[in-house]
Amino acid sequence: MVFFFGRRIPAMQKILLFVDKVSTWVGHAFSFLIVALTLHVAWEVFRRYVLDSPRAWAFDVMIMLYGTLFMMAGAYTLARNGHVRGDILYGYFTPRAQAAVDLVLYIVFFLPGVIALTYAGYFFAAESWAIKESSNITAEGPPYYPFKTVIPVAGAFVLMQGIVEMIRCVICLKQGAWPSRAQDVEEVDVEKLKEELHVKDEDIQKLDEYVVRKAPAK
Amino acid sequence: MKLRKELWFGFSLMAIVVVAVLAFMPWANLLDGHLSKQDLGLLGLLMLALIVVAIMLGFPTAFTLMGMGVFFAWLAYRNVDPALAGQQVFDAMVQRTYGVMSNDVLIAIPLFLFMGYLVERAQLIDRLFRSLHLALARIPGSLAVATILTCAIFATATGIVGAVVTLMGLLAFPAMLKAGYNVKVAAGAVTAGGCLGILIPPSVLLIVYGAVAGVSVVQLYAGAFFPGLMLASLYVGYVMLLAMWRPALMPPLAESERRVPLPLFAQALAVRGGNALTGLSRALTGGGGAGVSKRTALGQLIVTLLPALAIAALLGVMYRAATAPVVEDNVAGLVQVGGLAESAAEEREQSTGVIGAPEAEEEESGVKEPAAEKVEEASPAEATAAEEKTAEKAAAPASQERLPAPVWFWVMLAIGATAIALIYWLWNWERLEVFKLLLSSFFPLALLIFAVLGSIVFGLATPAEAAAVGAFGGFVLVLIYRFIAKSRAAPPGGRFAGAVFWGTLKEFGTIIKESSFLTARTSAMVCWLFVGSGIFSAAFALLGGQELIEKWVLSLNMTPVQFLILAQVIIFLLGWPLEWTEIIIIFMPIFIPLLPHFGVDPLFFGLLVALNLQTAFLSPPVAMAAFYLKGVSPPHVTLNQIFAGMMPFMGLQVVAMFILYAWPQLGLWLPSVLYGR
Repeated sequence: MVFFFGRRIPAMQKILLFVDKVSTWVGHAFSFLIVALTLHVAWEVFRRYVLDSPRAWAFDVMIMLYGTLFMMAGAYTLARNGHVRGDILYGYFTPRAQAAVDLVLYIVFFLPGVIALTYAGYFFAAESWAIKESSNITAEGPPYYPFKTVIPVAGAFVLMQGIVEMIRCVICLKQGAWPSRAQDVEEVDVEKLKEELHVKDEDIQKLDEYVVRKAPAK
Repeated sequence: MKLRKELWFGFSLMAIVVVAVLAFMPWANLLDGHLSKQDLGLLGLLMLALIVVAIMLGFPTAFTLMGMGVFFAWLAYRNVDPALAGQQVFDAMVQRTYGVMSNDVLIAIPLFLFMGYLVERAQLIDRLFRSLHLALARIPGSLAVATILTCAIFATATGIVGAVVTLMGLLAFPAMLKAGYNVKVAAGAVTAGGCLGILIPPSVLLIVYGAVAGVSVVQLYAGAFFPGLMLASLYVGYVMLLAMWRPALMPPLAESERRVPLPLFAQALAVRGGNALTGLSRALTGGGGAGVSKRTALGQLIVTLLPALAIAALLGVMYRAATAPVVEDNVAGLVQVGGLAESAAEEREQSTGVIGAPEAEEEESGVKEPAAEKVEEASPAEATAAEEKTAEKAAAPASQERLPAPVWFWVMLAIGATAIALIYWLWNWERLEVFKLLLSSFFPLALLIFAVLGSIVFGLATPAEAAAVGAFGGFVLVLIYRFIAKSRAAPPGGRFAGAVFWGTLKEFGTIIKESSFLTARTSAMVCWLFVGSGIFSAAFALLGGQELIEKWVLSLNMTPVQFLILAQVIIFLLGWPLEWTEIIIIFMPIFIPLLPHFGVDPLFFGLLVALNLQTAFLSPPVAMAAFYLKGVSPPHVTLNQIFAGMMPFMGLQVVAMFILYAWPQLGLWLPSVLYGR
């Protein structure tokens, strides 16, 4: 493996970042479903209570928007290293050890699981397409086969991103450090929050005098 | 190679588990494919032990669960029919996944997350903190109390622990240090307050628990309301007592910190008299204007009168509720009231028209009371909607038939009147300014939270619908607050109005975009965990691990209290290595089936679990809150100081758990009143 990737790391890195970008782009595109979902449901509530004319298929659309949103964001989340992981010990590993553990577990857990999901999802969706399945919640409900197609599609994207992550592990094993990732918005972006509240690093430094002055008095 | 202490400890634990698993594994039967029922159950338990080890290795948990689930489900199926095993595993996998995708409880999660990210980005936390701090300036430990309250409100609306602790670490922590507060007390207030959002509804944790345990999220929200309030008031009470007992830890604010800057018109009017209400009315009637324009005076007077209007409106609603001639819920009552029932039934007739065809058909048969009964039998949401309408329609024409107001109403009226009198007696110019500050920060947020919670708890909307409306409210908050901030930053003069407008829209777009991305990622994190655990728990059920655990637990002959304590201790211990999502999604399905054996209400258990997991956020050495605070605090504040500061609050959480154990009514009263549990 090391031999194989020996000289091609910069080129490889480009490919990795490209796949990251694809996953991220798809994730970003589907993220906006949350705006659609919010507006759809809020409008439906308004229709029910104010206009007194609820629509029967509203619930189906709600479910589809939600299901598509989180499934299609799976690969994006993986690209951002955002899936929850028990990092109590992992955080203390050296990058090489992290990469080794990850690589082994990608092969042992990730590949069988996600391949099974994608494979099974393909037939699941195909059956739905074959009978042009529509909602069973309401009569004359909206078609469900596009929604079921989301499973294999999302599975394929996650699989692709997973393979990229495995290559990252190999590079990390070779170089001893994790290759870079594309930038994206963070949940707790300390620098941005500081800017928002007009707090500068010097201000925080200056606070030390209050802390230090207290200490001897104790 | 030298390993760190933590790693040694972790690895030895893992090694013990793995060795035990290898030793107990029924190897001989496993290899030739004929496992007895006993072997399968054992395999299920071994799977559970292995998953803990695998999670500790740090691989994304969703995929760990998926991989293990597929493997063990295949083992279980193979034992029945090797030829079909592969196909059955695939079917189970995709069915479980689709179950998560079409889950009508989990749908509320992205919506609440979205609302949280939007509210956080509306940037109203500094106004909120400033106004609460000024409003509470006179009570002991005011800054710490204001911090806890700000955290409670903000964390409730957003639910993002990391962001709340970081923001308050930048905002309240420096303020407290400058005011001479003890570092530990300050750190404790910020971290403990930031974690309140996990328990106080609308919290995502309760939705996840509801989805896993099959408990109605609506009831969970109603149940968590008072325990959440209790915990917040325990914190506030503790801080105030500490401030009174040892003022050195939390010196009162200096006069300069407390003073509220008065605007020009107020300064002019304040010379003539301290009370703002009389001052403004005089200015308006022309007696003592002191050069203040009538428009300003009128505007301020309207603001001044808002509390009175609010109290009056509240009393009006109470009066209507107390005397409304609607006989709710039971038909027996309908018969007893006789003549009144006639009109009520008629109104029902009108209102059923909008509900749906079956009820309307019943109406045509001319039998009124059974029709009314039919309405009650309709699905709860419809029934509530019908009652709402009935109540509204009944109120107008039947006002002459109103019931006499009960005694408690007159008591409330007296209290309301006294409150109004007291408020305006104390209503000086500073208080007017503080009230205006609160009006622009505290009340919109409180209104949003109560609108969302209220519509859920009173059955007007499902949690998902309320969350969507809440997220829409988030849009509005973002627009208003960003617009205000932009127009304040802009130089005065009408020419810049367009620039301010476009600037706001542009920022609004960015905020929506970022919030959407974060929402997608966090929902994917939670829901993919459900996808993984779907196949995993299917495998666990197939192997019969649950039966074995049940048999074992029952053989211990525990009393319900012992069982509850044991369960909570296990959950607390799991809270160290694992995140709350993992604990609830993976381990709750094991505890929930045990509850009926001990006669424990799953709703009550959920409240205890929520309190318990909140403690995990504050328990060293893995307390997330501490690390977020450390990230933004001055270098000489050590992690140990922060941990020490969190300790008393952790103690209070344990006290809260004991109170809830001792008086379960605290959590169960509201659901029982509202939903007749």
